[in-house]
Amino acid sequence: MAEKTSKHEFRSNTVPALVTVGPVAVLLLCLVVAPLILVAVMSFCSTDEFYNVVYKFTAVNYTKLFSVDYLRIYGQSLLIAFVTTVICVLVGYPFAYLIARNKTKWKKLLYMLVIIPFWTNSLIRIYGWRAFLGSSGWLNKFLMMLHIVDEPVDFLYKTGTTVLGMVYCFIPFMVLPLYTAIEKLDSSLLEASSDLGAKPLRTLFEVIIPLTASGIFSGCIMVFIPCLGYFFVSNILGGGNTDMIGNLIERQFKSANNWPLGAALSIILILVTLLLVKLYQKLGGDMDSLGV
Amino acid sequence: MKRKILAALISLSLVAAAVTGCGGKTSGGSGDKGELNLFVWTEYLPDSVVDKFEKETGIKVNVSTYSSNEDMLAKVKSETAGAYDVLNPSDYMVAQLIAQDMLKPLDFEKLPNFSHIGESYKNPSYDPGNVYSVPYMGGAGAIAVNTDKVDIEIKSYADLFDPALEGKLVVLDDFRAVIGMTAKAIGYDLNETDPEKLAEISDKLMELKKNVVLYDSDSPKSALISGDCDAGMIWSAEVAMAMEEVPSIEVVYPEEGPYLFLDNWVVTKDSPNYENALMWINFVMDPDNMAMILEEFPYLCANVDAIEKMGESYSENLAKNPPAEAIAKGSYVQNLDSDVLDIYSEMWTKLKE
Repeated sequence: MAEKTSKHEFRSNTVPALVTVGPVAVLLLCLVVAPLILVAVMSFCSTDEFYNVVYKFTAVNYTKLFSVDYLRIYGQSLLIAFVTTVICVLVGYPFAYLIARNKTKWKKLLYMLVIIPFWTNSLIRIYGWRAFLGSSGWLNKFLMMLHIVDEPVDFLYKTGTTVLGMVYCFIPFMVLPLYTAIEKLDSSLLEASSDLGAKPLRTLFEVIIPLTASGIFSGCIMVFIPCLGYFFVSNILGGGNTDMIGNLIERQFKSANNWPLGAALSIILILVTLLLVKLYQKLGGDMDSLGV
Repeated sequence: MKRKILAALISLSLVAAAVTGCGGKTSGGSGDKGELNLFVWTEYLPDSVVDKFEKETGIKVNVSTYSSNEDMLAKVKSETAGAYDVLNPSDYMVAQLIAQDMLKPLDFEKLPNFSHIGESYKNPSYDPGNVYSVPYMGGAGAIAVNTDKVDIEIKSYADLFDPALEGKLVVLDDFRAVIGMTAKAIGYDLNETDPEKLAEISDKLMELKKNVVLYDSDSPKSALISGDCDAGMIWSAEVAMAMEEVPSIEVVYPEEGPYLFLDNWVVTKDSPNYENALMWINFVMDPDNMAMILEEFPYLCANVDAIEKMGESYSENLAKNPPAEAIAKGSYVQNLDSDVLDIYSEMWTKLKE
């Protein structure tokens, strides 16, 4: 009898929900919510002479955030992230289209080409680029072999190199949502468009792109936002002379040892991210297709 | 959608479990000889020496690395107490660790090899009486020049600001070293605190901005060897290593007197493996072991008996064994007040933006 009642109790939703979601919820509280609160609290603190955090309210970190130098770095980061995103769309879209509309056996292979780089740590891949682009790297050797240039070209340690590295790191995040969107595209619509006399270019701009806009949106969000926070690409390929917000935050937590200022900078980055996601929703983006 | 969330949460919890699993370093985990957690500079301790220590003592050694004193301090503070047993801080950082009561005094009865350390390195100003630290290696922020590629003559830090070097320099990714060098270039002190002079230094620093293409403390020699940079201010031993690869690279000790550093072995206050830590420190002070280290990383060495073992290839090499005059003229970084360091930080941000 007693067994039966307990079985009955399990039919209610609370216990299973607690058992399955409970631990995860606790984990999330501990690993996401609590640290975020700590970051928010710390951003209003200061440090003592030994860089220890002093828990006493001050808004000085937020006033520092508006110094000309920092504003310039934000601008620079936004610009680099923007250019990266645009290049990712321009390069990623045709590629995603090629995979999605491909009916041959190459489809899987092409798809794998996007996935395979994930098997190697991105830091190592970026160091690979440094070796490849250097004065005595393969690219320069190749160009000199073909007598295109007489002396090694300085590819490294420029803002453009940072953008290249960013594009390389983030292009899969653009291709995958685009692929999903293009895959869903009904090809009878394309046929209808051409039957009605639209030239391919017109079909592209009036049918294909509007119908895959959600993929473009989510791809852009998934490239632009992490791009703002990346710091090692600009350190390794940019030589450390084109700082981004990510570098600024990293430095506060490491060499400058000013955690409260780093926390305030992180809060700004979080706010920018939230703003962009809100904008994305406003423009009709679907939160599901962000994969979160 | 719900399933997606669940999948995401589960994977998150797996990641979390993995992360926490990595963090928990406990002593005595493997074997009965216990463990030792070293936290040292990158490119400063050959694996062969660590292997030898493990073989001789049966102690399991975990090595973690850092590339600036400040990084090390931040990491030690953010880890649980006793996560690292032995640290490798530079001069001024030893003083800071002592002031914050983060170190345990060394038991010199267990460190008989301290006798191999040169007298001039004992009893340093940052740790009077060597209560907490023994010196390891050091060096200077020396100038490296690839004479095949650089036409101008470089004799001083000030010469590195020459417009002819635009886009050619690599310097340490270390704000005290680079700002200190700039101060010296215009005749001020490495540890300048006067706001007016700091403003001048800041202006001078902007001249350097065009010349420097790479900030690297981990392995600055690489860019010189690959030819991506033609000159720079880097650790003296890194110059020595670059010279071995590319003969046209030369070492220059600046006329103004170089920026100097001396790194030390210390034991953290909460170290759970104090005895093992002392065994390690004694082990690296053994002249044979120290010579093994110098073979690979030829820095200025505090161990006079090890230097003797190395012979002339070490002692006569200017980059490996900096000349006494250069050392005498040089200066060490000192701890500054946090409001002065804020100014340094701002200057650094300006330089790197």
